[in-house]
Amino acid sequence: MGQITANTRAEVKEIVYSFFSEECETDISRIHDDTNIISDLEGDSLMFLELIEIFKKKYNLSIELKTIAKYIVKHPVETIGQLIDTQMLMIEHENNIVNL
Amino acid sequence: MSNKVVITGMNMITSLGLDLRSGWENMVAGKNGVKRITLFDPVGLQTQVAAQVPDTFEEYAAGHVKKRMAEQTTRVTKMGYVCAKDAVQQAAIDFESFNRSRCAVILGVVSTANSSAEKGTTPKNTILKSMSNAMSAWISLEYKLRGPNFTVTSACASSAYALGIAYDRIISGAADLVITGGADSIINREEIEGFNELYALSVNPDPEKACCPFSRDRDGFVVGEGAGIMILESEASALRRKAKIFAELAGYAMTSEAYNIMAPMKDGQGISETLEAALQHAGVSPVEVDYINAHGTSTTLNDKYETMAIKKVFGERAYKIPVSSTKSMIGHTVGAAGVIEAVVTVMSLVNDIVTPTIHLDIPDPELDLDFVPGRSRKHVIRCALSNSFAFGGHNATLVFKKYV
Repeated sequence: MGQITANTRAEVKEIVYSFFSEECETDISRIHDDTNIISDLEGDSLMFLELIEIFKKKYNLSIELKTIAKYIVKHPVETIGQLIDTQMLMIEHENNIVNL
Repeated sequence: MSNKVVITGMNMITSLGLDLRSGWENMVAGKNGVKRITLFDPVGLQTQVAAQVPDTFEEYAAGHVKKRMAEQTTRVTKMGYVCAKDAVQQAAIDFESFNRSRCAVILGVVSTANSSAEKGTTPKNTILKSMSNAMSAWISLEYKLRGPNFTVTSACASSAYALGIAYDRIISGAADLVITGGADSIINREEIEGFNELYALSVNPDPEKACCPFSRDRDGFVVGEGAGIMILESEASALRRKAKIFAELAGYAMTSEAYNIMAPMKDGQGISETLEAALQHAGVSPVEVDYINAHGTSTTLNDKYETMAIKKVFGERAYKIPVSSTKSMIGHTVGAAGVIEAVVTVMSLVNDIVTPTIHLDIPDPELDLDFVPGRSRKHVIRCALSNSFAFGGHNATLVFKKYV
């Protein structure tokens, strides 16, 4: 399991916000937790996969994409805030996320 | 009120310019867009020349294409997308005033050219870059259009077929507006080698002479690249929003020769049948036709058979109709050729100017029509045809009329 500290959520949030700001060429001040990834930012589903790879490396996570896919089917991610929540669960539970 | 299909916007990107105005002006001036290949090193190839879109395209596209999309699309897809954005802007379309489910995107695309000539080619995004429906999808996404978006593939007639299908959507009442056209490039080592194997390309190394449709010395086509877009709209829709109307697409024909995978039917039989079918579909008599934008590839058979077909359909009048080849200036843009040449045809109609067939210094004695050699000329045009013929026996003729 990944190590969760008091700063982890802030760290994840900063990475997610910066990632979408850069990829969607949007000023970071226009991104909020309730921002819709597709309709507000014209983002795409591949971005979620790219972020997973970033977090896998950063937190040395052992988690398979198919596991995440099973979780996402039950818990769709549409907003930046939902994405941050999901990344936090990934860090905390890794492959066990599917049992939540 | 009759509901005609009208053209309310158009644009082209070719070796002679990145927009309609510059491309048209260079064509009227009879400029040559063929140069030695620089997109990749052509060493070892029989063919050394092509009509490349100016290098400034990358910079131009950067102003239109967002970072994310840029990474997921090829240069050719960007050409189609950028061309469409400029055409929509020129047509002053506010999609908020349209029912988006009645707006379609129908393009003619052979491939997205995700070839070795594609700069920065990596395994990443291979599928998104290669899918031949990418161009129509990106345009649909840009304007949130909810009508059908798809791609037609019929080789060198692809975008002419797209225009025909777009016409049908509108005339049948299924659509109010269709963004149609296409983009293509085969300027890469693999495809040039392949066409060289078929003896289809010119091997003349002189860019000032290689592409010479209807001339005695023609030895094959010269590859080009580019994009063309037409905004087709129902007359009622265009009038409702007080749009500028360039011309009417009065009808068309698409036929299949079912004869040979490469060669056209002997004596241009398939071509003449296509011309006749298009005139009939448009309700136009041969005496009304004042200009023909030829397929005019600079290949031995096409130019001979296209000439024979025009003589068969128009009789003695064939000698009085200017017939010119846009490809003499911008090469063969393959899947995009149909729409680019349709755009040139409409510009000819609008301006009463016929663009020339350049490099026609030594005529072929067998080909004795008025091919408008060397220089454009003023010529009143009521109705004009644009021809496209393709490997596989795909033929298309589009009929344009002045809008009255």
